[in-house]
Amino acid sequence: MIDGTTPLIDLAALVCYACALAGIEIVLSGDACVSIYTQNKYESFDLDFVLLSNPDRKRIGRILEPLGFVKDGRHFRHPENSYIVEFLQPPLSVGQEPVREIREIRRGKMVLRLLSPTDCVKDRLAAFYHWDDRPSLHQAVLVCGDAKVDLREVRRWSLHEGMAEKYEHFKEALRQAAAKSGKKS
Amino acid sequence: MLEPLFESEAKEKALLYLYTHGESYPREIARALGMFVNTVQYQLLKLEAGGVLYSKLKGRVRLFGFNPRYPFKKELETLLAKALSFVPAEDLDRFYRPRLRPRRTGKPLS
Repeated sequence: MIDGTTPLIDLAALVCYACALAGIEIVLSGDACVSIYTQNKYESFDLDFVLLSNPDRKRIGRILEPLGFVKDGRHFRHPENSYIVEFLQPPLSVGQEPVREIREIRRGKMVLRLLSPTDCVKDRLAAFYHWDDRPSLHQAVLVCGDAKVDLREVRRWSLHEGMAEKYEHFKEALRQAAAKSGKKS
Repeated sequence: MLEPLFESEAKEKALLYLYTHGESYPREIARALGMFVNTVQYQLLKLEAGGVLYSKLKGRVRLFGFNPRYPFKKELETLLAKALSFVPAEDLDRFYRPRLRPRRTGKPLS
């Protein structure tokens, strides 16, 4: 059962599993994926799930309420912890491109479906590229330090987004992070 | 024009307004287009929930604009640009050709 000590990854897996049982496919995106790939070096309290179809919103409520979640506007909250669960409209995309690969993490009998580390980095960079959001740049760098990220693919995507200049900022941030940690970038 | 697609005249007009003005808030759009604020707000919130628009607070005003991360943004803008070319010249001037350059405080509008 969910309580104040339930880790984000287990909560996310439980929501994903409950929805899958009801035939609703969802994928975790946003900064919760950063938390997972960095083993909580960055702590997120937002569980943003992208719906792969357009189910009736009331159905989602009927799935989450037995787990103890309470609807709060567009979101769901659990009285025992600070996480906010939100369901975003399809399509599952990073910037202008659809997401092709969905990663799965097993937690007991539950399966959490989420963005791959490479798409997670693109997702964070999209926030940096389009909103100049520095924390998102930092999160992208953190994921690169802790998970296997295809940087050639990130570069290709960045150029496709028309963000060649900002991609250089990202590369520089990666270099600085590597120099600090003594790793080769 | 795009009403068969968007299923709402208010939605079409609000999108055209945001396309030509960049960012705006429900009251300004409603006033400019002669619509009810609630009608505009409802459409903007629906578009935001669908990821088409973003919103952010600036002071006490919630501004809306096109979400740069919406995967069909370019295509939607192309569609709106084409729709604008069908708008009568008089309406274009009235609603969709904003003065965007700054004007010093106190200087009257000519």
